[in-house]
Amino acid sequence: MSGTPSQGSGLRYPSNKKTIYDRNLNRSKNAELSRAAFAYLFIEMISYAQRRVRDVNDLEKRLNNQGYPLGLRLLDLLLSRSSNPLASIRPTRILPLLQFIAQTLWRHLFGRPADALERSESDPGQYMLYDNEPLVNQYISLPREMSQLNCAAYVAGIIEGVCDGAGFATEGVTAHSVGDQDGAKMWPGKTVFLIKFKPDVLEREEILGRGGG
Amino acid sequence: MSYAFTIFSPIDTPLFTHEFGTSRSGGDGIARFTTSERALNPFILHSSLDIVEEVQWGLSTSAGSAPMYLKHIDKYQNCYISCWITGANVRFVLLTRPRDEALGLNAGAQRGSLAGGRAGLGAGGQVYNPTSPATEEAVKNFFVDVYEVWLKTIMNPFFHVGSGDVVKSPVFRTRVAAAAKKYL
Repeated sequence: MSGTPSQGSGLRYPSNKKTIYDRNLNRSKNAELSRAAFAYLFIEMISYAQRRVRDVNDLEKRLNNQGYPLGLRLLDLLLSRSSNPLASIRPTRILPLLQFIAQTLWRHLFGRPADALERSESDPGQYMLYDNEPLVNQYISLPREMSQLNCAAYVAGIIEGVCDGAGFATEGVTAHSVGDQDGAKMWPGKTVFLIKFKPDVLEREEILGRGGG
Repeated sequence: MSYAFTIFSPIDTPLFTHEFGTSRSGGDGIARFTTSERALNPFILHSSLDIVEEVQWGLSTSAGSAPMYLKHIDKYQNCYISCWITGANVRFVLLTRPRDEALGLNAGAQRGSLAGGRAGLGAGGQVYNPTSPATEEAVKNFFVDVYEVWLKTIMNPFFHVGSGDVVKSPVFRTRVAAAAKKYL
């Protein structure tokens, strides 16, 4: 690993001679993807995940796994973009991390912030992030036998990747439809993302809080 | 001065190592570690990760965020450790081994014994100081450059930090070397 590999040791350059290192990290500003293209690819991802799948839980788990690596990468990319690189900062508490997800991440992915962020009253380690109209579910209609499925599990995977990457291990992030509860007529596709942090994360949070940070 | 630079994954696997010397004040950019020092470097770098874990949360400000640049965090014998931690808990650790003269050791003194060195410290004006603003700024600039190249590396969908993928790209190494030459 430490030895310097010799130049031209079978390294293949793209035809335009540009490696990933020659590309600009901030170039994608104002370069939004077409929604149709995304919907098409996402449908393909779902049908890929659906192969040899046992039940709805299994399918959601697979979608979650597809989103996870994306979260890991977006965490660092967005942190580096959101501030002057000379003052690079990273979240060390739960709340700034969740705000980062609800604001920065959501804006990057969907062009708007998330609709609500709440802490569960029954379980202090559980947070709820609401999206009234998830972009990923826009063109998805569920068959009756799979009414439990919420394809925003993919987005839940992204959230899980961000939390895990930042050092806030979770016991899982899951997406649930709540459209048929309150305000059903307004937002039929309303989805809640349940984020449950591990006990050691909460313990650290408490210690940091006591330290007067 | 000689430097040893290592990137550690969140599970403490070294993903990239690079050794270089200073290019400042007429340096030729070649690391001058003795064989035994070179063998010791990985141990020093790894042991400093414990210190990183101690300070990485503690620098919290009221805003609940901390800088990625942790500055000078550790010292072992004549080696000084600086660290940068990315958002995804990847650690960039830089070990600095100043020349003996810069440590205030006279040429004849045994390496590792600071007895002679301490006497010389008072007299010498050119003593290496890891927390001087100029040093910290230079190391930070180096880390900022490496961080940018690192970001480009992890944007590769086939590169998985978590599974201990080693950075093999010679382009990456060239970029790190360029940053080292520019700032250190």
